[in-house]
Amino acid sequence: MSLVLKNVSKKFGRKTVVDNLSLTLDKPGVYGLLGTNGAGKTTTIRMLLGIIKKDSGEITWNGEPVDRKKVNFGYLPEERGVYPKVKIIDQLKYFAELKGIASEVAEKQIYKWAKILKVEEYLDMPAEKLSKGNQQKVQFMTAILHDPELVVLDEPFSGLDPVNTDILKHIIIDLVKNGKYIIMSAHQMVTIEEFCSDILILDKGITVLQGNLKEIKNSYPANRVLISTDENIDKYIEKLNLEIENVKNNEYVVKIDNEEIANKLLNLIVKDGININKFEIMKPSLNDIFIEKVGD
Amino acid sequence: MRDIWIIMKFTIKDMVKRKSFIISTLVILAFIVIGFNIPNIISWFGNDNIKSKILVVDNDNIFEGSLDSLNNMDINYEVTLNNLELANVKEKIENGDYDSALYITKEDNNIKIDYIIPEVSVLDSIPSDLVSILETLYKNVQIAKLNLTTAELQSISPNFEYSLVGISEEAAGNVIVMMLLSIVLFYAIYFCAYQVSSSITIEKTSKIIETLVTSTSPKNIVLGKTLGIGLVGMLQMILIVGTALISANIFMSPEILSMVLDVSNITLGLGIITVMYFVLGYLTYALIYAVTGSTVSKPEDVQSANGPVAILSVGAFYLSYFTMMNPSGNLNVFASLFPLSSPFCMPFRVMMGLATTTDVLLSMVILIISILLIAKVAIKIYSNAILNYGTKLSFKDLISIYKEKNK
Repeated sequence: MSLVLKNVSKKFGRKTVVDNLSLTLDKPGVYGLLGTNGAGKTTTIRMLLGIIKKDSGEITWNGEPVDRKKVNFGYLPEERGVYPKVKIIDQLKYFAELKGIASEVAEKQIYKWAKILKVEEYLDMPAEKLSKGNQQKVQFMTAILHDPELVVLDEPFSGLDPVNTDILKHIIIDLVKNGKYIIMSAHQMVTIEEFCSDILILDKGITVLQGNLKEIKNSYPANRVLISTDENIDKYIEKLNLEIENVKNNEYVVKIDNEEIANKLLNLIVKDGININKFEIMKPSLNDIFIEKVGD
Repeated sequence: MRDIWIIMKFTIKDMVKRKSFIISTLVILAFIVIGFNIPNIISWFGNDNIKSKILVVDNDNIFEGSLDSLNNMDINYEVTLNNLELANVKEKIENGDYDSALYITKEDNNIKIDYIIPEVSVLDSIPSDLVSILETLYKNVQIAKLNLTTAELQSISPNFEYSLVGISEEAAGNVIVMMLLSIVLFYAIYFCAYQVSSSITIEKTSKIIETLVTSTSPKNIVLGKTLGIGLVGMLQMILIVGTALISANIFMSPEILSMVLDVSNITLGLGIITVMYFVLGYLTYALIYAVTGSTVSKPEDVQSANGPVAILSVGAFYLSYFTMMNPSGNLNVFASLFPLSSPFCMPFRVMMGLATTTDVLLSMVILIISILLIAKVAIKIYSNAILNYGTKLSFKDLISIYKEKNK
């Protein structure tokens, strides 16, 4: 199975919102869509699911155009929405039935997922009585109740507290283990780094970086060194004309151009008999890469 | 088809489970039952009323003792006869012993009757029932003195029967029934169709629409929702009209009922035609409202977006309502064929016997073709407008959306 987007473009009026975007997800895993607000992530997702028409390009699942009737997909939209006056169980059943699941099967699935997501006690309540986080979990259930092959999650973690974020993370990991293909957009780089095998960074509709996350990170040279020590090492840093990025609890983060200069610094400090608790040469984080690519 | 059914089922369940729906329906039904019981309620209160105390003073015995019979008559007064001076009479009224008094005196050939009450306001006058009773009593006393035979008596004072006779009695009954039905139809169609608009806006503003459009097609959403709301509205209308008819038959006396309505005109055939026009009229307006509902992003904008449709529907209703006064005129014929007004007008013409089967069929064909055209345009605009979360779409925007979709 594989999801392929080939040279997909979309214009709203004269403005190009997505320009020539291509991506391939050919094995179970999470593909991360990154970008600032208005970069074209949601438009890409909407085109992928056929909510809006693409102007050009191809979007296929197993070589066939993506169609609601042919592809079993689940979708958590960025715009969270539930029927405020309708009981949670009734709306979940409604969406499951629209996805072709029989009422009895849907009920079993609802109770199973409600237990995992810890919303069992709210099933008989109207949605308006639930907190936003719980409403979001309910909506997440509508995306996965029918056991879809392809799951599209638009900002799944925004608005969730750490406890619920953790629950959702575990579910996503399980979904991948169970062979699901997931497209996920997110702002939080940490979550993307945790889950995504591949990423695509969009800036004003243009793909500015794309590929395997590990390879991307490895392609960037080390740019910082972390030194944890009980003593002041300012003079050694100054001696090598290096810049301190951050000092906290005797943990220094120093900017470097290459790994050699980091080793030079370590030698200088050790030579004077200063005890070092931790020494780590660091590659740029995804956050750094993201800012470098899309920051003005 | 399966999805339309699921959406329709969900819409119906959602509507009938709502407290506001249940309460408003019960309130309307209660008002109808109470409304038809108003004559009964008034009479209950009437019976319970303490009769007004009246003092009748005939010091000169002008009525020759016949006033005693006042106590045997079915009148709303508790009559006390007494011989008193005027000053004493006034005193008794002032003290509240009596509510009013009749002070009878004779001046030359005239009988003078003073009706005395505590305070005289502009609206007060001598009760006409008392006036006619007193005049009859006096006349009877005088006639009795003439020793006339029964036949002579009857020839002097025959029973007069008054009745209002129109040239076409049945038609007059029809007009009232139909005008009422036309109003009921208009409100039923208007409010049900309006529900479609607000239901669509709720789905849009609560952002649920995005999940929905990935689960089924916009066409299914519009049709399922329209049919669901329409079915609930139709059942509600049947319940209301049914309760009104049953209440009219049970609670109103046949005489009063026949004065207000000619129930014999409400036949099964008219019922079927009315329901058909309700369905078609509802579909026409519901689909137009589906468009306006999909153009707004905030619930508070619904009213302003629906404004033009409201004006259109009220205009169409008045066109048919006022031309009913002259049903044979060309304007009424036009109103019965024009798709926006025919649902309010054609049932009226059918009942008046002014429309042939061909006219009805023609009007329905025009209506159905219009519905199909409106549905085509509405679904297209809805599909695109529903995911537009920006400002409210203008009419110009809607045309460009439609054109873009048609490319």
